[in-house]
Amino acid sequence: MRALRKAGAVLALCAAALLTAVAPAVADGQDGKDGKDGLTEAGTNFRTATGLDQGEKGTASASTGDYLYWVVPVAAGQIPTVEAKVELPDTAARHGGATWQLDVYDGLRRHQPCTSGSPARRADEQDTSVNLSCTLRQVRSWSQRWANDPLPGAYYLRLTVVDLPEQDLGLPIDAEITTTAHDGGGKHADGGELAEPLNPSLRAGTIAEPESEAPDDTDSGTGSADSGEEPPRAVAEPEDGWGSGWWSDRWVWTAGGGALGALAAVGGYTLTRGPRSSGTGSGRPPADG
Amino acid sequence: MIIKKRLVTGAAGLLTALACGLILPPTATADEPSRPSPKVELVLDVSGSMRARDVDGASRMSAAKQAFNEVLDATPDEVRLGIRTLGATYPGKDREVGCRDSKQLYPVGQVDRTEAKAAVATLRPTGWTPIGLALRGASKDLAGDDATRRIVLITDGEDSCGQPDPCDVARELAADGTHLVVDTLGLAPDRKVREQLSCIAEATGGTYTAVQHTDQLSSRIKQLVRRTAETPVQTPTGIQGAAQCASAPELGSGLYNDRERFGEHRWYRMKVAPGEELRASVSVAADRAVDPDYDVLLRAVTPGGTELVRGSEAGSGRTDVISTGLRYSVPDAEDDDADTTPRTVCLELSQSFSAPANVKRTPGLPVELAVDVVDNDEPPADVAAFGLGRGWVLLGVLALTGLVVGLVWGWVARWRITVWRSN
Repeated sequence: MRALRKAGAVLALCAAALLTAVAPAVADGQDGKDGKDGLTEAGTNFRTATGLDQGEKGTASASTGDYLYWVVPVAAGQIPTVEAKVELPDTAARHGGATWQLDVYDGLRRHQPCTSGSPARRADEQDTSVNLSCTLRQVRSWSQRWANDPLPGAYYLRLTVVDLPEQDLGLPIDAEITTTAHDGGGKHADGGELAEPLNPSLRAGTIAEPESEAPDDTDSGTGSADSGEEPPRAVAEPEDGWGSGWWSDRWVWTAGGGALGALAAVGGYTLTRGPRSSGTGSGRPPADG
Repeated sequence: MIIKKRLVTGAAGLLTALACGLILPPTATADEPSRPSPKVELVLDVSGSMRARDVDGASRMSAAKQAFNEVLDATPDEVRLGIRTLGATYPGKDREVGCRDSKQLYPVGQVDRTEAKAAVATLRPTGWTPIGLALRGASKDLAGDDATRRIVLITDGEDSCGQPDPCDVARELAADGTHLVVDTLGLAPDRKVREQLSCIAEATGGTYTAVQHTDQLSSRIKQLVRRTAETPVQTPTGIQGAAQCASAPELGSGLYNDRERFGEHRWYRMKVAPGEELRASVSVAADRAVDPDYDVLLRAVTPGGTELVRGSEAGSGRTDVISTGLRYSVPDAEDDDADTTPRTVCLELSQSFSAPANVKRTPGLPVELAVDVVDNDEPPADVAAFGLGRGWVLLGVLALTGLVVGLVWGWVARWRITVWRSN
């Protein structure tokens, strides 16, 4: 028993030491990437999408026809708005108008509709830039599994041209994108809470061996490996968490209602005794007694 | 200070690696070695047409050379870079010979800048444009370890050899599981070049750029080389979905890729234990010319064939992928003797992409699958947060209730006093 415990302790130490050894390396890597030339890159697909924070501006120089991907974390209760601007190529080099489009996908790669804004817009031949925007529905803290409701987690932004004169393909553009969110309140409006945000892991999959290894695999194999080192995720958790705080304006309403109810009760009580205690009430006891 | 810190952590890491190596099973240490550094090959067209002087007044060739020099200076150390040429040696008219003219100018590896620049300086616009052949050659040059690979193709003309068709070659290379991306840069504003180069880029998930200026050429190549260094090293695991659930491959959490032909259905299996939630997303890429309307359907089905949940998406117009996802959870076991063995969930993927008759049907469309198994969430006990309420109706009801209770209480008190007095 003691030996087991000892071995456990050593393993824990190992894990802790490994984690601390790995952490600075990861941080260094990010510093280098961010420090060199800011965020001047966009990913080219879901897997390589460039991570942004809310309020952070992502810029990219690219070619007309490229599909530009960014990914941003959104917490429950927030109403995110994405704004993008594309600096079009020289008007002299272009051959006609083009339609640009901004698409937003949730962490499950499901397309999310915009409630307002102009996610697709046609730029005329003489325009120098085009502005796109998309406001999503309020992100729910929980939803039925069959629903397409926006849930906390990673949100993918895709910017591309959807309709253009063939000759304009490949011309240089500059794009910039920002995501802001305002809190719509009611983080707990749905009562439930996701066990984990829709934040996809970026780890290569492993194909389970047929049958023989299966029970071992679920019990310890992948289980311990998974908890030992967290797989890289599409986005980092926002500073304020994924919106799992306990605060809700319902506390105010309910407490206010309670106080109001108590006041009304006192009022009702005094009403029943009121006329007697003030008028006859004071005079009666001596008359009775 | 940073160096010191690194040394310390390095030493600590080494120690623990040694200590843990003794304790942990060898499979765990197999994951440890860092991934091989990314590889890029620049493929440069040195055909006769590169003599044309239409890039900022200079010849295309000199623009390319200048760009290459700048790129070689800016190449990050962690990138292994190689250079291949096409049409550099044979000036003759014989198509047979001219279409075999592609050679490696500088082998893929750590760049020796002076050597590489010297090699580039010797190039003179000469021969034919065998793009397909050069792509195959470049893919061979990049073969070997498990690194991320990228080919940057710089050319001013369409393939003058015809066979093999460069676009088909690119699609084949992308399909053989090496995660190869081809980015193309066109130096001539010509429709055929544009079509061919964008087709190559589309087939491999790369980009196409029309180059007009020298500085644009060098900054774009630099950007592509840098992108190689920054791309996540985790590449999806290749799998092959089956035609029915029974014979489907069983997946763990993570990223996978597959190929699905037009009109095909592919099945995969997952094990989900009670109290766990399955999350699956899938994207099907349109890597060739496809008809403008398409959709995708991902269904979670029991082995018996009952549908559990589905995700679907439809679209139209120009796109790179169409994607959808689903969530499915197995409720937690209620009591001790409930069945706690993981359930098998089958995933069926289908899409309705179609293509014009002249478009090749094989290999299938690239599919990327991201699956994850997480803990179940708590279904809400009440629609409101913590059972709290909100709004004027709530306030009115509470106030009215208070008033009624107060009145009743007051009357009861009066009645009791009267009863007490009369006794």
